[in-house]
Amino acid sequence: MTLTAEHGHEEAAGGEPPHGHHQSPAQRHRKEHLALWLFIGGDIVFFALTIFTWFYTRALNTNGMWRGASCTTANPCTDGLGNPLTHEVPTANPWYGVVVAVLIVVAAVLAWSAERSSVQRAGRSSITGASGMALVAVLAAVVVQCIEFGALPFTTVVGTYASTYEFFMGSTLAHALVLSFLALGFLVRSRAGRYDDGQWYQLRLYRIFAVWIAVSVCVLTFVSSVFT
Amino acid sequence: MTTEAAPRLLEDTPLPPKAGGLYRRQNMWVGLVAGIVLAFIGWLISHALLQGSNWGTDMVVTVTMTCWVIGFNAGVGTFNGPFRWLTNDDQTAEDELYAAGVGQGAKRYFKFCTDHKVVGTQYLVLVMVLFAVGGTLAMMIRTQLITPHSSFMTPQLYNTVVTVHGICMIVATIIMVTGPFTNFIMPIMIGAKDMAFPRLNAASFWVVFSAVPCLLAVFFLGGVNAGWTTYAPLSVQDPPAMDTFALTILVFAASVTLAGVNIIVTIVTMRAEGMTMFRLPIFTWGSMLGSALGLYAMPAFIMAMVLMITDRATGTSFYVAAQGGTGWLWENIFWIMGHPEVYVILIPPVAAMLEVVVTFSRKPLFGYVIVIAALVAIDALSILVWAHHMFTTGWAPDLSGPFMLTTELISIPTGLIFLCVIGTLWKGRIWARLPMFFVYLFLWNFIIGGVTGIYLSDVPADGLFHNDMFVTAHFHYTLMGGAMIAATAALCYWFPKMTGKMLNERIGKIAFWIIAISFQVTYLGMFWEGFEGMPRRVAYYDPTFLHANQMATVGAYALIIGWLVLLYDVIHSWRNGTPAPANPWGAKTLEWKVPTPVPLENFLVEPVVTSDPYTYGEPEKEAPEPAAKPAHEPELIPGGGGT
Repeated sequence: MTLTAEHGHEEAAGGEPPHGHHQSPAQRHRKEHLALWLFIGGDIVFFALTIFTWFYTRALNTNGMWRGASCTTANPCTDGLGNPLTHEVPTANPWYGVVVAVLIVVAAVLAWSAERSSVQRAGRSSITGASGMALVAVLAAVVVQCIEFGALPFTTVVGTYASTYEFFMGSTLAHALVLSFLALGFLVRSRAGRYDDGQWYQLRLYRIFAVWIAVSVCVLTFVSSVFT
Repeated sequence: MTTEAAPRLLEDTPLPPKAGGLYRRQNMWVGLVAGIVLAFIGWLISHALLQGSNWGTDMVVTVTMTCWVIGFNAGVGTFNGPFRWLTNDDQTAEDELYAAGVGQGAKRYFKFCTDHKVVGTQYLVLVMVLFAVGGTLAMMIRTQLITPHSSFMTPQLYNTVVTVHGICMIVATIIMVTGPFTNFIMPIMIGAKDMAFPRLNAASFWVVFSAVPCLLAVFFLGGVNAGWTTYAPLSVQDPPAMDTFALTILVFAASVTLAGVNIIVTIVTMRAEGMTMFRLPIFTWGSMLGSALGLYAMPAFIMAMVLMITDRATGTSFYVAAQGGTGWLWENIFWIMGHPEVYVILIPPVAAMLEVVVTFSRKPLFGYVIVIAALVAIDALSILVWAHHMFTTGWAPDLSGPFMLTTELISIPTGLIFLCVIGTLWKGRIWARLPMFFVYLFLWNFIIGGVTGIYLSDVPADGLFHNDMFVTAHFHYTLMGGAMIAATAALCYWFPKMTGKMLNERIGKIAFWIIAISFQVTYLGMFWEGFEGMPRRVAYYDPTFLHANQMATVGAYALIIGWLVLLYDVIHSWRNGTPAPANPWGAKTLEWKVPTPVPLENFLVEPVVTSDPYTYGEPEKEAPEPAAKPAHEPELIPGGGGT
C-alpha cells in the first residue's frame, strides 16, 4: 500500500480538541447517523422477533393456552402457579395502548418540531419548548404504561396471550424510558443554547429515533389490539 | 529569550491537574467495589421485597446481578459520557486526552481508556483469561471421561462444567479477533486516528468484563444443567444459576452490539483519503462483515434470554408447554442467532489469516473481490440456515429440504475462500515463519471441519449423527481448529506491532507442533467416539467407547500443554522479548507503516492512500517508501520507525 504525505494536514493544530473530536459537525453527523441506523437495525431484529413471538405462540395455541378458550369449570386448565384456570382470559383494554402510542407519536412530532426549529434558527425558546413538550409527552406515556400494568385483567401466568401482551408492554416501556432520557438531555442542552446556531444534527438523530419508536409502538399496539 | 519546544507527540501534552474529571477517581478497582456494594444493596432490597413471592429467588438473583453490572460500570466510568451529555457538561479536550490514557502509564490498562490500542490490549488479556478458564474446564471434562464411570465429578457438576466451558469458549471466540485485533489494528489499517466512538469502544470492553463474574457465579448458585444452548424447558427448570447465566449473555450481547456498530461506522466513515472500499485490506472487510452479522444475531440472543428470564423470574409462559408456551420458540429464536453466530466467530479470524497468507506469500491476495463476494454471501446465507439445528426436533419437516439446501449452499462461498487461499499460496515466495505455520494448520483442520459439516447438513446423516460426539468433533475442528488457529496466526503476526516485542519463534514452533499433533489426536478420537455412537454431554458412558475416549483425553492433555507453551511464549516475549522493528515482516498494509509503539493518534501526519493494499511483486512499488512524512525522527521512537 503506497502512501503519500502530500495532502496530509495537521488538524490538531487547527483549534479543535485534539483527541476524539477530529471532525467537523457534518462528519460527526455522518458517523452518528450511520450508528443510529445500525442500532435501529438491531432493534428491528428484536422487534421482528417480538412480533414473531406473538403470532407464533398464538398460532400454536399449545394446550389451548393462548387465552385458554377451552378452559372450563368442568375441564380446567392449569396456570403457571398450578391453579385451575376455568375461563377464557379476558383481553386487555386496548385504549391504554392507544393512548401510549398517541403520546409517543406526539413526542416524535415534537422532536421533529425541535429539529425544524433548530434548522430554521427559530430561536432557543422554540427549540426548548418543543423539547420540553416532547419530554412531557414521553413521560406521560411512561406513566400510562405503568398504570396499564396495574389495570390488566390478567397476570403473566395465565397463558401466552397474557405473557406476550405484558412483554409488548415491557418493550414499549423500555423504549419509552430511553426516549425520555434523550428528551431530558435535549431539554437541558437546548436550554443552554446548544442548538441555537444551526447545530441541529443531534436533534435530527433524536427525531429519527423517536419516529422509529413511534412506528414500532404503533405496530405493537395494532397487533396486540386486533389479533387477540 | 528562550522558547520551550512544543510537545512533539500528543501523548506528551501536559494536562491540567483536574483533567479527566471523574475519570481521575475511577478505575477497575473502584468498579469492583461499586459493583459489590450496589449488588449487596440490590440483594438486600430485593430479598426483603420479593423473597416470599412465587419466583422470589430467581428475581433476587436477577436483581442482584443486574445491580452488580450497573454498579461496576458506574464505578469504572462507562456511564460518565452519557451523564455528562445529559447534564450539558460535555468533556473538554483535556478530559478526552486524560480518558485516552495520556500521562497514566500502565495504569491506563486498568481504567476506562478510550485509546483503541489500549482497548485492544485489554481485550487480548481478557480473551486469554477466558480461554484459560474454558480450557481448564475442558480438561475437567476430559478427565471425567478418561474412564467410563469416573467419580472425578458428579453428573450435576459435570453438566455445569460442560455448560460453562461451552459458553466461555463461545464468548471468547466471538471476541477473540474483533476484540484485540480489530480494535488495535483496524483503525491504523484504514488510516484512522481512533475508532469512530472511542468512549463506546471502551464501554464495550468494560461491559463484557462485567459479565465475566456473572458467568463464574453459576458455580455458586446451584449450577446449570442445560448446556450452552440452554434448551427450554430444561433451562426454565434449572437452579437460580441460570438467571445469572442468562444475564451474562444479555450483557455480552449488548457489548458485542456496541462494538459491532463502532467497527462498522469506523470502517465506513473514518477511512483515510484514497482508501476506497476496494482498497481496504481484507481483514477490514472481515471485521465489518462479521460485525454486521453480529448486529443481526445478537438481538436474537438478547430476545431469547429476555424471554427466558421473564419465564423464570415473572412466571410468563413462552417456553413452558404446560402453560401454553413451546420449546420450539426457544429453538427458533436461539438458532436464528446461533448459526449466524458461527460466522460471527469465523469470518474475522479467517480474514485476519488472509493477511498472514498475503504477507508471507509475497503475493497479492488471489481473488480479492471474490473473497469479498464470498464473505458477503456467507453473511447472507448464514441467516437462512438456522433450522438445520432442528432437523430431529420434528419442527416443520417440510422445511428440512430447503434448509438442507441453504446449508449446503454455504459451503460454496466457504470453498471459494479456501481456493483463494490456495491460489495466493500457489507459486508464492513462501516465508515459513510462525504465523504461516498456523495458516497451514488452519487449512488442514478446516478442510476436515468443513467436510464433516456437509455431512451434518444432510438430513438423513444428521439423523444418525445428531447429538453424538461426531458433532462435537466437527464443531471443534471448525471453531477451534479453524477459527482459533487462524486467530493464533493473527496473534503471532500482529504481536510485534501490539507489544513492541518479537514473539520467540523457537518456543512458538515447539508449541505449534504440540498443538498441531495433539489436536488431531484429541478430535479424531472424538470422531471415533461419534462413529461408535457415543452421545454428547454424558458424564458416564458404556465401556465400548473407552479406547476412543482415552485417545481423546490423552490428546487433550497434550493439547493443553501446547497452549500453555504458547501462553508462556506470549508472556515471556511480551516482557523480555527482542524489541520489534516497525515492520518486521515487510508487510504492505498501513499498520506496519507507523512506528512501534504506535503513537496515540497513530499517524503523525494524516496518510493518503494511492494504491491497492497488496502490491507485492510489482517492481515499481516494491521499493520501500517512507511511512508518510515522519514528523518524528525514527530514533526517538522505541522500536524504530523504519522497516
